[in-house]
Amino acid sequence: MDRNIQKNGLVNLAAAILIFIAAFAVTVFSNSLSGQAASVFLGLAVLVTFASWFQMRLEESERLERLEVEDMARVKGEAALFQSKESELFPARRAREQFEKFIVPAFAILLFILEGGGAFLLWRYVHKNTHVIAPDRAMSSLALFAIFALLLFLLGRFSVTIARLEGHRLLRPGASFLLAAAYVCFGSALAIAGVKTEFASADLWVARALCVLLALMAVEVLLTLLLEIYRPRVRGKVARPLYDSRVIGLLAQPESLFTTAAQTLDYQFGFKVSETWFFQVLKENLPLLLLAQFAVLILSTSVVFVEPGEQAVLEHFGRPSATLDSGAHFKLPWPLDRVYRYRTDQIQTFVVGYVPDAESEKANIILWSTTHAKEENFLVGNRATATVQTDNDTTSTLKAPPVSLITVSIPVQFQITDVRAWAYQNADPAAMLQNVATREVVQFLSGQDLGDVLSDARLVAAQRLQSRIQGAADDCHLGVKILFVGLQDIHPPVGVAGDYERVVGAEQQMIAKTNTAVAAAIRTNTLSGAMAFSATNVAEAFRIQRATAAAARAALFTNQIPAFEAAPSVYKQRAYFQAFADSTKNARKYILLTTNTEDVVILNLEDSIADMLNRVNVPTE
Amino acid sequence: MKRNLITFAIGAMLVVVFALLLFVFQVRQSEVAVVTTFGKPVATHTNAGAYFKLPWPIQKVYKFDQRIQNFEDKYSENYTRDNVTLLASVYVGWRISDPSRFLLTIRNGSMVDAQQKLEGILRSAKIAVIASNELSSLVNPDPQQLKFEEIENKIKATVQAQLATNNIGMSVEFLGFKKIGLPDSVTQTVFDRMKSERQQWISKYDSEGNAEAQKIRSAAERQAAETVAQAELQANQIRAAGEAEAAKTFTVFQQNPELANFLLRIDALQKSLNQKSTLVFDERTAPFDLFTHLPTNSPAK
Repeated sequence: MDRNIQKNGLVNLAAAILIFIAAFAVTVFSNSLSGQAASVFLGLAVLVTFASWFQMRLEESERLERLEVEDMARVKGEAALFQSKESELFPARRAREQFEKFIVPAFAILLFILEGGGAFLLWRYVHKNTHVIAPDRAMSSLALFAIFALLLFLLGRFSVTIARLEGHRLLRPGASFLLAAAYVCFGSALAIAGVKTEFASADLWVARALCVLLALMAVEVLLTLLLEIYRPRVRGKVARPLYDSRVIGLLAQPESLFTTAAQTLDYQFGFKVSETWFFQVLKENLPLLLLAQFAVLILSTSVVFVEPGEQAVLEHFGRPSATLDSGAHFKLPWPLDRVYRYRTDQIQTFVVGYVPDAESEKANIILWSTTHAKEENFLVGNRATATVQTDNDTTSTLKAPPVSLITVSIPVQFQITDVRAWAYQNADPAAMLQNVATREVVQFLSGQDLGDVLSDARLVAAQRLQSRIQGAADDCHLGVKILFVGLQDIHPPVGVAGDYERVVGAEQQMIAKTNTAVAAAIRTNTLSGAMAFSATNVAEAFRIQRATAAAARAALFTNQIPAFEAAPSVYKQRAYFQAFADSTKNARKYILLTTNTEDVVILNLEDSIADMLNRVNVPTE
Repeated sequence: MKRNLITFAIGAMLVVVFALLLFVFQVRQSEVAVVTTFGKPVATHTNAGAYFKLPWPIQKVYKFDQRIQNFEDKYSENYTRDNVTLLASVYVGWRISDPSRFLLTIRNGSMVDAQQKLEGILRSAKIAVIASNELSSLVNPDPQQLKFEEIENKIKATVQAQLATNNIGMSVEFLGFKKIGLPDSVTQTVFDRMKSERQQWISKYDSEGNAEAQKIRSAAERQAAETVAQAELQANQIRAAGEAEAAKTFTVFQQNPELANFLLRIDALQKSLNQKSTLVFDERTAPFDLFTHLPTNSPAK
């Protein structure tokens, strides 16, 4: 029996080395992250099985040495024998003690470094790595990891059972590690299966979980090392090897957890809870319960709930067998039947021409001259320069091509109408639709004139683009209906938008100038009309007055003739004096009374009358 | 016994699962599978379903996506026949037309490798076709001169022909320009030209505004002058008519010309005198002659 345990240790070591190499090769072959983590576990298993095997050999040597010493003592007599130093008598025991005192702690420290460092480096690698498992290699990798798991399980289980026997404690660390490695390999196989089916990130998550487990193991080794310093050394009491991980033991033999839990419950409740019928049934049927749970898990894949707004394609052995609308549906369990869901009723949107920028979109005002997204410039025809550019332009070394640039932002809304066409015709239908739509926009703009696009062509462009995108999507069998193509944001690039705005300003100024001139013209014309009206009316009044006055004078004259003929001189005098009196009534009059008619009288008519009168010499009688 | 039965059931189930994994494989509707025996392609499955195979390493299954793959090449610089540098990016819808050839000619049937090969062919074809056309063939408001689709078809035909020559089991279903543009330096010159065009419009509107205003004002003034002149003419005619009408009464004055002349003088006298007139008379002027011949009440000498 004592020989067997060493052999078992050696078999465990050999198996660990072989499976470690094989697993590492499969990991490189499949590029599996969880496989890499499993390889690290297997590498640690190699170290632990080696350490335990080496310690077994030392104990075996010690045992043989003890037997030899006992035989010698019987032959030579005890007294003579014990005159020698103890170290000379028991070199193998001395070697084992030295190994336990120095090498085992050193090995534990090495384990801590490898586990901690491995967890850290693996975690970083897992997060940086973007490789995926090659689909064609997944199935073979899965099968190989499953085989490794099976082999390790059988060997580990056997060794764990033997390790329970008295005196075989050193077999336990390696056996537990092998059993735990079996579960880890099984986890890797499940992760690869997940990648192969619908759970692409399963590999990543299993790798992360194994990193956490490695970190836990490192922490445990550290705590064990610290506690070892303060552990009371009782002579004759066999210590647990420092590299014998309790975490690994728990993982490898979860039933030990059950026993521990039972003991805890017994202590807490004060009676043997572990002996109750419920606890016993639970303990007896745990594998069956786990199997039933697994069966329920598989059966749960027989029911599918398709969400509102979705349609699902049901594949039976990879062949599409039905299209499922929203609601509950039954199907054969995975992997016989599989379901792929698509948002068919929901209106989906993408934008051609710009990449939305959350910061810029916070602004409430959208101006041509301000960037409101990561905009792209599209080429557009320019009728004016296309004809002008035929001249030889030698003014600049870099001649501007006869095109213009424009910025567009065109939201396209669509709905999946044929889910099978959407799923099976194109590998990436959404990207294909976006490409097709972008191409239609590029082609449309390249055949347009910049001025037209910014003005009247815009009105018909949306409808034309919608029908062209629909046609292109149909040509690609995308199975979609284009619902809306928006052209609300077509404008010159930000760099020249300000000049376009200034043109608008200049146009408005032109209109303003014209309007001012029209206003002035209206004023001028109105005034001239008034003047004309006034002139003609004055003339008319003149005419009337003239005619009327002439008629009146004629009538007056007719009446004056008899009076004149009756007394011509009197009439004249009378008329003269009457007219004189009337006419000179308000006039300033100077009457010169002088006898000497040759006198020269000078009157300064600019002087005031008072001064003038003062200076006039009034003749005295 | 019960425990053994469960263990046996689990073991049997695992054996069945492993056997299925080793001997059976599924092909989806979107996939095509090539089965190789010791590395040599022996069967191609294009229809969806479950198929039998011998376990690895005897037989191996390579699955490919048989749907149309979407590929975009880099936004790269090209030279047109009229010496314009043009940036262009092309998207391609391609698919695996011959899975066995694809597996043999592309390393491990890798889609990434396949697209790298396609990119090389596509870029070469794109450069060649663009170089044989002028920019105005790609961008032109005149539909007669625009050859956008023709250029796309030429690139597609060139790529298709090269793929056929290489016999790598790939075919191009459709091809189109994803983006065309200009390098930054050329873009800036286009911006400058666009700005100068806008400046032309600004000047045009400015001068047109002034000219139009001037025209409107001068037209209004001309019209006003014409209106006033017409009115003057009409007024003169009216005055003349008044004069003519007044002249008709002159015959009445002819009955006694002496009186008429006297009255005219009286009338003229009245009109010629107004408030501000200053008159200087001597004592002989009637009625002021009364000052000299007025009788007095003083006693006779």
